[in-house]
Amino acid sequence: MIKGLKAITSKEIKELARDPRIILGVTVAPLVMFLIMGYAMQGIFSQVEKSIEQIEIGVINLDRGGQGKSLIENLTKLGVKVTELESAKESDVVQQMKKYNLTTILVIPENFTENIENHKGVIEMYTVYRGGVTEGAKAGRISTIIEQIKRIWSPDPFTVSENSIVKGKIIPVSPNILSGLVMSQNITIPIVIAIITLLSMQLAATSIATEKEEKTLETLLSLPINRFSILVGKLFGSVFVAMIGAVAYLVGFNYYMSSFNAPGAGYVELSEIGLTPAPAGYILIGISLFVTLLFALSLAIIASAFTEDVRSAQALVGYLYPIIFIPMFLLMYADISTWSLPAKIVVFAIPFSQPVLAVRCTISGDYLIVIAGIIYVSLLTIAIMYIASRFFATEKILTAKLALKRMRR
Amino acid sequence: MSMAAVEVKDLVKVFDRIKAVDGLSFHIDEGEIYGLVGPNGAGKTTTLRIIATLLSPTSGEVKVFGIDASKEPEKIRELISYLPEEAGAYKNLTGMEYLGFMAKLYSRNPAETGEIVERGISISGLGERLNDKIKTYSKGMKRRLLIARALMNLPKLAILDEPTSGLDVIYSFQVRDTIKRFVKEYGITVLLSSHNMLEVEYLCNRVGLLNRGRIVAEGSPGELKASYNASNLEEVFMEVSR
Repeated sequence: MIKGLKAITSKEIKELARDPRIILGVTVAPLVMFLIMGYAMQGIFSQVEKSIEQIEIGVINLDRGGQGKSLIENLTKLGVKVTELESAKESDVVQQMKKYNLTTILVIPENFTENIENHKGVIEMYTVYRGGVTEGAKAGRISTIIEQIKRIWSPDPFTVSENSIVKGKIIPVSPNILSGLVMSQNITIPIVIAIITLLSMQLAATSIATEKEEKTLETLLSLPINRFSILVGKLFGSVFVAMIGAVAYLVGFNYYMSSFNAPGAGYVELSEIGLTPAPAGYILIGISLFVTLLFALSLAIIASAFTEDVRSAQALVGYLYPIIFIPMFLLMYADISTWSLPAKIVVFAIPFSQPVLAVRCTISGDYLIVIAGIIYVSLLTIAIMYIASRFFATEKILTAKLALKRMRR
Repeated sequence: MSMAAVEVKDLVKVFDRIKAVDGLSFHIDEGEIYGLVGPNGAGKTTTLRIIATLLSPTSGEVKVFGIDASKEPEKIRELISYLPEEAGAYKNLTGMEYLGFMAKLYSRNPAETGEIVERGISISGLGERLNDKIKTYSKGMKRRLLIARALMNLPKLAILDEPTSGLDVIYSFQVRDTIKRFVKEYGITVLLSSHNMLEVEYLCNRVGLLNRGRIVAEGSPGELKASYNASNLEEVFMEVSR
């Protein structure tokens, strides 16, 4: 064994394990995060289950033979609630959906019976896609039911051509594919935002702790500088870093979004079908991320004032991780549009939800929610800066660590 | 009679039920070098921190040039400079940048900043090394830079906690010489604490011997030696610390 390795390892473990902040940080945070993730996953599964429990579709039957009618009867037998749209034409699909509040319409073409005998029958299926994760599951369930019917009839009597309707436009791509793409966006975006937020907070947390560790804080506080200026100066320094982070995020995000292509009848880009933000949306996302980072940095700077060294500051910031990750994980998996109003308010009230909400809302065109979020987080930042400046004006900035020590005893 | 630079009356400071300062009273005249001497934990640093407006008194009164430290700490910060015992400097700045940063806080225009920095360069005696990052400095070099910072702006009151801590004999001598010269040339007042009795005897016009948060003896080094029948301040210190 390498000389001294055992002794140094034992010393390191003792030093780390005896710091309650570190132990709590590494145990509580992941436990809480996984509990929340599990809860969110349960929520999404129950949403999906609910959405496929009772399938309701509209059918435009243009078939001149009897197979179209037979298909409708089979669908009904298999538990699908079918609304026959008697006088409709295929070009009326979008209009009919709005009129009857339907999300899926099947169009059985004129020569369906004739073609089915030649194994050339094609049914067009149109499903409204709003950017959620349940629509794909629902379309998948309908496809499975139709497959069952196909197996009863004869091998491969017809095929189903799946289409999505996004913002009133027909896209010749299965909602399942779109749902998969949006789901991967939903997972990646919050993770990237969380990483930027955490890195910036870790940097900001060291700002006052470094002054304490390097023994420069006492001198700084005795200088003829307004205490609020010290705080704001520190924040501006961190903001500079956060801005670089926000710009890097936007550049990466733009590239990432443009890389989402859906293979289908044609080659479809998510940006072309309105599932990426408009240019104004990118600006709002940038501002939302910036104000949220500003809030996070203020919080980190204040938290670091209560610690005596950099390591403690970083461990203390670790306690804030759950409030960053919880809303992000929730938004990652859940379809917030189906939530109750109080649940929506709680998620909105957590500042760290805002950049993720901003991405979702700019895609769906709900700019007012993004602007309200930006105003809300800005006001919150001003409020905590004010409280922090009051704290900085007292001797607590030097003695706060004593208070923490007392709490630990 | 000149105005009192510092006036401390019945000062008490309690931390978590520990009385660090317990009814302390003393005054320092303008242009005087006053030394606070006492064993570890006697309350020297706490007293200096209160006068430097970093801590608030639990009770009692502290005035610096007639300004109440509890009521108008910002005004006092304009007049003082404080050198903590364990002070550091921003390690990624060069010595010159550090002096420049500090000078700007006290000056009204670039010409004045230049003047202050020139004085700092001269006090530090660090020469070309001022262009290097502070993280490359030895402990002694850092202390010289910090002393230069504390004196270069010609504060009305310099509060120096163990000014020569970490300095070798030669630089300690130079620093003591600089302090004496600055008091004489610019009329600044100095409040210092030290464990070095030789330094206190050499520098201070008057000395306050502090024990358990109170002044137990006060006077010029000569007076203290005479009243305790001691040959040096160390003997006086040992006598009153018992």
